[in-house]
Amino acid sequence: MASSVSHLDPMPKVSIRAADDTVAAQALGLAFGSAEQRDDTLVVRIRPDEWILLGTGALALAAELDLSGYASTVDITHARHVIRVTGTHAADTLAKLCSADFDEAMTPNGAAWGNSIAGVTCDIVRDDHGGERSYLLLFDGSFVAYFLGVLEDAAGEFSSDS
Amino acid sequence: MSHRLPASEGEVLDRTKTLPFTWNGKKLEGFEGDTITSALMANGHHIISRSMKYHRRRGALTADYWDPNTTVQVGDEPNVRASHRKLEAGMQVSAQNVWPSLTFDIKAANRLVGRFLTAGFYYKTFMKPAALWPTYEHVLARFAPGGEVDLDTPHGRYDKRFAHPDVVVAGGGPAGLSAAIAAAEAGASVMLVEHEHRVGGHLLWGTEQDRARAAELAAAARTAGVEILTNATVTGRYEDNWVAISERSHPGVIERLIKARAKTLIVAAGTIERPYVFEGNDLPGVMTSGAVRRLITMYGVKPGTQAVVFSANESGDAAIDDLRRAGVSIARVVDALTGERIVSATGSKSRVKEVLLDDGAKITCDLLVTAVGWTTPTSLLNMAGDRPVYDANAARFFPAGAPDNVLATGGMIGDGALDDLLEHGRSTGELAAGRAAVVRHRLQAATARAEAVNGPEPAYPPDERVPLDRWPHPELFRAVTHGIVDYSEDVSSKDLYSAAAEGFDSVELIKRFTTATMGPSQGKLETVNTVAVLAQAKGDSIADVGTTVWRPPYAPISLGALAGRINEPTRRSVIQPWHEANGATPILAGQWVRPDHYGDPAAEVRNCRENVGIIDVTPLGKLDLQGPDVPKLLSLLYTNKWMQLPIGGVRYGIMCAEDGVVLDDGVTARLGEEHYLMTTTSSGAARIWSWIEMWLQTERPEWRVHVTPLTTGLTSINIAGPNARALLGRLTDIDLDNDAFPYMQVRQGTIAGVDGCIAWRIGFTGELSYEIHVPSGHGLAIWERLLADGDDLGVKPFGLEAQRIMRLEKGHFIVGQDTDGLSKAPVTGLDSLLRLDKDDWAGMPEVRWSLESRDHPVLVACQPDDGTVVPEEAAQILRSGTNEIVGRITSSRMSPTLERSICLAQVDRAFADAGTSLEILLVDGRRITATVNEHHAHFDPEGERLRG
Repeated sequence: MASSVSHLDPMPKVSIRAADDTVAAQALGLAFGSAEQRDDTLVVRIRPDEWILLGTGALALAAELDLSGYASTVDITHARHVIRVTGTHAADTLAKLCSADFDEAMTPNGAAWGNSIAGVTCDIVRDDHGGERSYLLLFDGSFVAYFLGVLEDAAGEFSSDS
Repeated sequence: MSHRLPASEGEVLDRTKTLPFTWNGKKLEGFEGDTITSALMANGHHIISRSMKYHRRRGALTADYWDPNTTVQVGDEPNVRASHRKLEAGMQVSAQNVWPSLTFDIKAANRLVGRFLTAGFYYKTFMKPAALWPTYEHVLARFAPGGEVDLDTPHGRYDKRFAHPDVVVAGGGPAGLSAAIAAAEAGASVMLVEHEHRVGGHLLWGTEQDRARAAELAAAARTAGVEILTNATVTGRYEDNWVAISERSHPGVIERLIKARAKTLIVAAGTIERPYVFEGNDLPGVMTSGAVRRLITMYGVKPGTQAVVFSANESGDAAIDDLRRAGVSIARVVDALTGERIVSATGSKSRVKEVLLDDGAKITCDLLVTAVGWTTPTSLLNMAGDRPVYDANAARFFPAGAPDNVLATGGMIGDGALDDLLEHGRSTGELAAGRAAVVRHRLQAATARAEAVNGPEPAYPPDERVPLDRWPHPELFRAVTHGIVDYSEDVSSKDLYSAAAEGFDSVELIKRFTTATMGPSQGKLETVNTVAVLAQAKGDSIADVGTTVWRPPYAPISLGALAGRINEPTRRSVIQPWHEANGATPILAGQWVRPDHYGDPAAEVRNCRENVGIIDVTPLGKLDLQGPDVPKLLSLLYTNKWMQLPIGGVRYGIMCAEDGVVLDDGVTARLGEEHYLMTTTSSGAARIWSWIEMWLQTERPEWRVHVTPLTTGLTSINIAGPNARALLGRLTDIDLDNDAFPYMQVRQGTIAGVDGCIAWRIGFTGELSYEIHVPSGHGLAIWERLLADGDDLGVKPFGLEAQRIMRLEKGHFIVGQDTDGLSKAPVTGLDSLLRLDKDDWAGMPEVRWSLESRDHPVLVACQPDDGTVVPEEAAQILRSGTNEIVGRITSSRMSPTLERSICLAQVDRAFADAGTSLEILLVDGRRITATVNEHHAHFDPEGERLRG
């Protein structure tokens, strides 16, 4: 598939903020800038003190966390939408709209970072599926109509395999 | 195609594909692969344009991208480079800026008054009488050069792309190709950019062996994985090797701007053949040696029948061979190396006719070929900080030194046989790849999300390349006669002499005074000749005169490419589709598409005042604040006190920037022990989030506060009007009794069966109102439930305009509307909120000073004495009977409730007392009077309705 853009069905999402020395931070782990699938939840350490939990198990996993110390959770299920861009030209599609370096060494599978894409602030997760390049874009849901249009326009160049 | 040569090796034409086109309405044909110029010349059309100022006949000079004499109109597209643009079937090509025709152009009458149109004449003329300037302007506009822009032309499709190659190579000649191949073979990702339609550079119009070598290099580059962009130009090099590339060959778009962050930039732009300055040097039929070689070898065009060749180098000699091969008779070779010179040329109406030599001989010809030397296009290196140095022995400028991540190769830095150029290119490519690898290692090591680096940082490769020779070349810039120096701008060497005599004797001054070098070729053909002529005029050396500073763009780029795709983010609440489906007129408020009204905003106001209305206020900024230090943060950000806000309490606050100017306002609620919800203005949400993070991350990192934006996560609906309590009461388990849930309180509970909802007892309209925040996934359903369940209560939606009317009736100001970038907090008149007895808050010192000085304007409410007149927002308020401005109207509307016009205004303090009469200047020039109110609120100043 050259490049496909799909707006994912609503799914639970939780933002966890926790200082390094908290139990919650230790439990969540992960290196800053990386993501890992744990059962039915994608755990993303998007900023040094912030994790995003994404998936059907997100709320349960958040509820299990010990929030003692300087830690907090916010349910962002309704605040953020998720778009997945997949295909051999997924990176080329995003490179039309985003200044990030999508080279394999700079953003390998599992990389997570924040960037502007076509003027929309996004959290980006490289989340390959079945060996195919794939990116999850988390963004403020109010942009969804605009953002889908822009991404589909960009992907149009790669509508056929080449 | 009377001037078309028989097919031969090396041509780029596909003679099986004939392309019909028109030239000034006449039907012609060319071949696939032709440029517009080659097709025109093949059909015997040698005059392609008229010059800008004197409307002199012009024909091809260089027959490549830089040709200044072949700019044409194609359909509705002006200023097309005919010597570069490929011919397409059906093209309608015409000469531009001529009247009535190219062959008979009345504007050429300018030549009759040429002595009054010297360089810089426009700085000295048309000054008096001043009253005639509009007439002058009108006439001058008719003489403006360039093609015609059709304002109805649809906006074309342009595009943009980011790239992060290890190496960008600017120039696809032999050295550039060799560099690209070597860099790619060393493991670098390489992007090669060539502004012509194919790579190979001068090899393409060289010998059979040259062309074979070009093909081998191109194939090797592709095999090595080099990304080759043809018909593309590196237009600028910026800080940290940010390289702008204009790509005109990408499928489906007119032009694409590539923003490449190159770890190493290789500049291999070659050399550009320099024209010679002499009387008659712009006659059609006067060409550079490269031009005739390209026309003959690549395009199968016979450029003339009888030629004089003025040659100082091997390019001229090769042109002689090519001309002979094409059947052009060589009338005379003028050998510059033996001291022979041409003096001038004269022409017929169509082209050059005779050349005068310095030995007095007059040679009849229809083609004059010059081969007088080369210009080094060092622009990209100059943009990196290099300043070129003149070498009199080689008669050209050379780069003197660029940063380590910018390398030059090829003809730009010296001369050599093909193998020498290839070897230098190869060593440059390897060096570039090695240096890029170091940069890549550092980037990867410094980027958390990147793969772990493999091993220690590689050693930084030193520059150990063997320099290229510099072959001697005679200094040939100008004959004993004067001629054109800048063809695009119609600037002659005589103009430059005159300008120098007037005191414009530095190269930077003379450039600006005469506009020499400022045309579409951006000095590629003109700069060195300008410098040389100025040096002659001053009696200086070329080295002492130096060059102008080259800045981006290297070559002109279209505004469309700079704009790229027009991506302007817009936001919508989950209810917006409902609004539009139910007759709402959308309005763009900041980034938000919102319902302005549903047909009759005045009726929406009246329904709100009499029954109940609901409005979608989702864009209201919402920030979730958690942590033990939130009260400290609020106390720092807001001007009033926050340390004692109880759980369930809501407080209004104003935020100031550090200069005391009002930054934002809003209400914040305390939801739990360490949990708060802040609201901001709709347009201020992102700014305030950033403002808070700035304080937390840089000024108060020890404070424990987590901030999470929830603007979109919570759909916000304001329920306003006398029946608001009754309506909400039907959907919620929250006790809405006035004692249990009084004004300026917040409660959490269930609404329409949805958990996790928040209800605020606040309002912007002055009515009893509740603002509910519900999880956005349920926003639309709850909106529809409110309308369905409140039908008997008279519930109707209202839009932004009705809300703005009601807030004005109530006297609530809007940050950015009733305040501006100079309005410090005391302007609002809310002095009781400006607590100087706190330890500190952002902007406090400035606000304290402002309060003490009492010299700031004041926000007041006022009502025109004639209530039927609504002054325009921003209308000036004047001291009575004078033109002295003492204020302005900031908001104004016709009030449906009061049935009269109402306003907010900023006025000087002396005009702020209740009862003061103000004089307002309307846009139509009338002056009306208005009277200052006692309160900001025009309606219900005691707030009985909202507290009811």
